[in-house]
Amino acid sequence: MSGSDSIRPYTESEIIMTAVRIVAPFVLTYGLFITFHGADSPGGGFQGGALIGVVVFMLAFAFGIAPTREWVGSGLMTALAAGGVIVFVSVGLGTLALGGKFLEYGLYEPFLGPDATKWGMEAIEIGGVAAIVSGVIMALFFLTAAGYASQGGEDV
Amino acid sequence: MSAVGFALAGFVIITAIATAMLRDTLAAIIVFAAYSLGMALFYTLLLAPDVGLTEAAIGAGVTTILLLVTIAKTTRPRAEKVFTAINCPAATLSVGLVAVLLFTVGSIPVENFLGEATPVTGAAGTPGESVTGHYLQSTYEQTGVTNAVTAVLAAYRGFDTFGEAVVVFAAGVAVVVVLHRGEFL
Repeated sequence: MSGSDSIRPYTESEIIMTAVRIVAPFVLTYGLFITFHGADSPGGGFQGGALIGVVVFMLAFAFGIAPTREWVGSGLMTALAAGGVIVFVSVGLGTLALGGKFLEYGLYEPFLGPDATKWGMEAIEIGGVAAIVSGVIMALFFLTAAGYASQGGEDV
Repeated sequence: MSAVGFALAGFVIITAIATAMLRDTLAAIIVFAAYSLGMALFYTLLLAPDVGLTEAAIGAGVTTILLLVTIAKTTRPRAEKVFTAINCPAATLSVGLVAVLLFTVGSIPVENFLGEATPVTGAAGTPGESVTGHYLQSTYEQTGVTNAVTAVLAAYRGFDTFGEAVVVFAAGVAVVVVLHRGEFL
């Protein structure tokens, strides 16, 4: 958004910055807890990934969208989103390679022990779904804030 | 359903109508966030904490912020009146659709939320009992996890979840393409 616009998306506020500084670590911890504890309590990769993405939203609202975008970096978001799909596909195709069906976790028992099904589910929830959701949610936010490329909307 | 449940249901319906009726976009977004928070509490009350968490994080959190960023990027028209005029044919159609859907609730085999049994357990003697009962009884033996919802998502219906995860990824790529960007910013 150009500097001449009357509506500015970012205003520096000591109150918001202090509040985010205090709350953000707790939200991040809760998001990680929901992600990693999804097999035994409510939640899972989708909800946890969304909360991890929301932490970045809070930082962007407190400290400005452009500095936060540079701090997070395009590479991290691409790696999370694309890497998550690759992890999910690899776990699924791995069982096909072992002669079973797609995502037939039981076939990993020779490598992971009797809890292979549980570890396989954790792998796709944490390495797959949580990574995809957190990466895409951050990207949606920064893309929406930056706007249409050919309208000169790069500098937020 | 308890008094809290009826109060929450009333709150959700009022905020839903207000979201549709308010002329000011910023006010509509804020009321929509309140609606999502009410739905999250409602899902938790109906013993569906997984859905409640999703509604709170995505509906009340992410959607609200994305809509706020969108109106910061576009224009927010000045509203002279608080509420928009009701479109009578559309309102009649909507109320009629809700009435038809409410009429079918009674014939859903699993006892609905107005009865004693919750949709999670399924009423005794209904088809829902055997399906949900099967998952609740055999999840731990077959998958080794205690949250049956996660087991259904990641193990029993793993292929569906794979499709959903790829849809989320594809949505991100679609936004990159629509906004003429070369990468995730």
